[in-house]
Amino acid sequence: MQKGVVVIGGGIAGIQASSDLANRGFKVYLVEKSPSIGGRMAQLDKTFPTMDCSMCILAPKMIECVRHPNVQLLTYSEVKDVKGSVGNFKVRVLKKPRYIDERKCTGCGICAENCPSEAPNEFDENIGMRKAVYMPFPQAVPRVMVIDKDNCLECGLCDNVCPANAVNREQQPEEIELDVGAVIVATGFDVFDPSVIPQYGYKRFQNVITAMELERTLCASGPTGGHLIRPSDGKIPRSIAFIQCIGSRDRRKWINHPYCSSICCKYAVKDAVLIKEHEPDSRITIFYIDMRAFGRGFQEFVNRAKSEFGITFTRSNPGEVSEDPNTNNVVVWFEDPITRTVQHASFDLVVLCPTLIPRKGVEELAKTLGAELDSYGFFKSADAVKKPLDTTVSGIFACGYCVGPKTGDIPDSVAQGSATASRVAEVLARLEVA
Amino acid sequence: MKYAFFLGCLIPAREPGYENSVRKIASELGIELEEMEGANCCAPFSIQSVDYISWLALAARNLCIAENMGLDILTLCNDCYESLLMTNTMLKEDKEIRNKVNEILADVGLEFKGKTNVKIFSDALYEDIGLEKVKNAIKEPFNGLRVAVQPGCHLTKPKRIHFAELAAAAALDDLVEATGAKSITYERKESCCGGPLRGVNDEVALHIAKQKLDGVKAAGADCIVTVCPFCYFELDMGQLEIKRHLNEEHNLPVLHFAELLRMAMGMKLEDWEVRAHRIPLTKILDMKEVK
Amino acid sequence: MSSLDAYFMREVANTPRGRGVLACIQCGRCTSSCLVARVVEEHNPRKLVEMIILGLRSEVLPGPLPWYCLSCFTCLDRCPQGGDVGETMFAIRNLAVREGNIPEGIAAQAQSLFETGRVVTPSRMALINREKYGLGKEPAVNVEAVQKILRKTSFDKLIYRGP
Repeated sequence: MQKGVVVIGGGIAGIQASSDLANRGFKVYLVEKSPSIGGRMAQLDKTFPTMDCSMCILAPKMIECVRHPNVQLLTYSEVKDVKGSVGNFKVRVLKKPRYIDERKCTGCGICAENCPSEAPNEFDENIGMRKAVYMPFPQAVPRVMVIDKDNCLECGLCDNVCPANAVNREQQPEEIELDVGAVIVATGFDVFDPSVIPQYGYKRFQNVITAMELERTLCASGPTGGHLIRPSDGKIPRSIAFIQCIGSRDRRKWINHPYCSSICCKYAVKDAVLIKEHEPDSRITIFYIDMRAFGRGFQEFVNRAKSEFGITFTRSNPGEVSEDPNTNNVVVWFEDPITRTVQHASFDLVVLCPTLIPRKGVEELAKTLGAELDSYGFFKSADAVKKPLDTTVSGIFACGYCVGPKTGDIPDSVAQGSATASRVAEVLARLEVA
Repeated sequence: MKYAFFLGCLIPAREPGYENSVRKIASELGIELEEMEGANCCAPFSIQSVDYISWLALAARNLCIAENMGLDILTLCNDCYESLLMTNTMLKEDKEIRNKVNEILADVGLEFKGKTNVKIFSDALYEDIGLEKVKNAIKEPFNGLRVAVQPGCHLTKPKRIHFAELAAAAALDDLVEATGAKSITYERKESCCGGPLRGVNDEVALHIAKQKLDGVKAAGADCIVTVCPFCYFELDMGQLEIKRHLNEEHNLPVLHFAELLRMAMGMKLEDWEVRAHRIPLTKILDMKEVK
Repeated sequence: MSSLDAYFMREVANTPRGRGVLACIQCGRCTSSCLVARVVEEHNPRKLVEMIILGLRSEVLPGPLPWYCLSCFTCLDRCPQGGDVGETMFAIRNLAVREGNIPEGIAAQAQSLFETGRVVTPSRMALINREKYGLGKEPAVNVEAVQKILRKTSFDKLIYRGP
């Protein structure tokens, strides 16, 4: 029996699971698809309802995890094959080439300063740009640059200026075979693309953005340096509308996300309060169907948002938005719940709260693992009540949003990370005794 | 290609030009249009509002006639399309309703078996004839004519019946562009013309039509092209009424898609057909001359 | 003062096109999408369902609300509960007709349908012109078959407008 564990996904759930297992004496291989761990939490500005700085909480956890002697970080890597069974899995990981030598790179960034080629920055939800050689975000772990070959002009400037001689354009993909006893999946979520519902104007009108794009705009490490400005003219928006349930609670066959994403009401109120703190003169309206404020402290937070911060909560789901061609303001059409008449209101900025869906590529991963997904792409539990974090394959567990929207906020993901670590320890301990 | 030709009520009554254009196009493209003997009204939404089973039975009767001919139905009107397609889909899927309707049809010696399909003119051209063949038949393209395509509500909605919603509207756009015209984007392309309220509440109908026409005018279209005779009537006649009651002019000629296609295929419109348009077509006809 | 009918919601839900009334979550997306609701204050799809749920049968059935509908199906396509609520308009109209509430324009179409098999008939001029333009005779409707069907479904009784 092997005493190693592969954790797939370096978000907060995966990081927690890895730390817990490492502290228990297990060897952990933390496999992360993107060039840095951190996941969605790294993209946020503040967390709810405590309004703590997200990165301030995350960064120490990231460092603690990777500094642990029992944790081996495999970033820019993907699990390609899994054979065997619980206690004895053979996992083949493909490490994509960064074209940068990880042992030499100090993360100084001089290469990026000189790089002539730009591409949309995925970390910033494609609203900002990065260079072809880039650091994923300022607090990236590992603190190593990466070259995006698709946008690299192969000019060699980075190589010329690198003081550590770390550029290696001959780098090849590396296949790594791992012998482990268990696997934990923690791949998290993607944001649904609202352009599938054209009535909300996403990608048609400049000043309609998603909540994740708003987070990046508000975050000091984002493309606007934390200044809330709107896409069309860079002005500060004085009136902002949040529209909830874009694609969620939707039973229509061509949308097929009838579930509630469970965190959108929370983050919308958080973002509204955040904006009001920045710009006390702004007028903010949240258009909702139901305000799902369950859990500790949350209804109180909503009440404060109304009474202390003056945020307007309108119980009406708008059917469509249109654009004023002169000002690029967005006009929201809704039924006023008091007068019961159809009204339209103009806003400088409209933020859509789309449904949250499993990460792209999760079907392929599930096939590799042999684990079952439900019809929405979330990992099915071996027993929804008694073993919620066991997948349908013995020895493979899952935590965080990839298990489904019943979880999703940060404390839940942390708790589940620990829970799966505990499950792994228990299962492997029992095998050892047997 | 052979179809059971379902004309509906509005076209023979008010818009024979549409039928004429379709027949001319059909003969050019090798489409045979077989008359449906004794076919009745499709039972559009107004009749559906009166009684459910009456609607289904009347629509099903037409479907049975086509079934007995062994052909698919070709309709020229969005409302006929809606009624027949919905009935066809429902009766094919729901055994209970089908039995109920067949009980009534037995009285007139018919039985719905679910063997036919319902197609509207633009979809039939796109799917069965193919865009390439249509393009090859174009002899006098409209170079750069800016067309606001009015797909009409029932071409694509309700989506769960029409499933490939965008496909039908996109197919119409492609066909219009095959004639050399440009299908422009304009605000609220997918919204209603107001036609269904004509005769029930003319004031509201006109208001809705005006919203559509305003959007088209703002986008700088030369003309409107539609597949549905209701849309045609509402937007064409509607402009006269808007001029009279609301004192506003749009001057947007409205064409049936078949008329556009036929002209592009080199067959000129006859005088009586040109005169049938209440907003004069002079702008478009002049453009063709100056090519 | 209207009286409330607690059974009304069930009555509507039991009609072929009315079962959507049980699924409505009153989110208001239908009304904010409705083109007519912007012009006519009384026409409000969400409110219609609300009134049904509350049992306001005596206001809904004789009222004008359902007859403003364009049946454009925009509300139906956008409803997050799958769209049956949009069909409720038809269900209410069917019930309203049974209580004798039917707008003039639709009654005229229904009458024409029963008498000629068409909702709108060509004028004499149109028939003459047809032959002139080479379109041939207008295809004849089998009126007998139509009337047989409509008698069996009692359509004729529904639209009967008195002696």
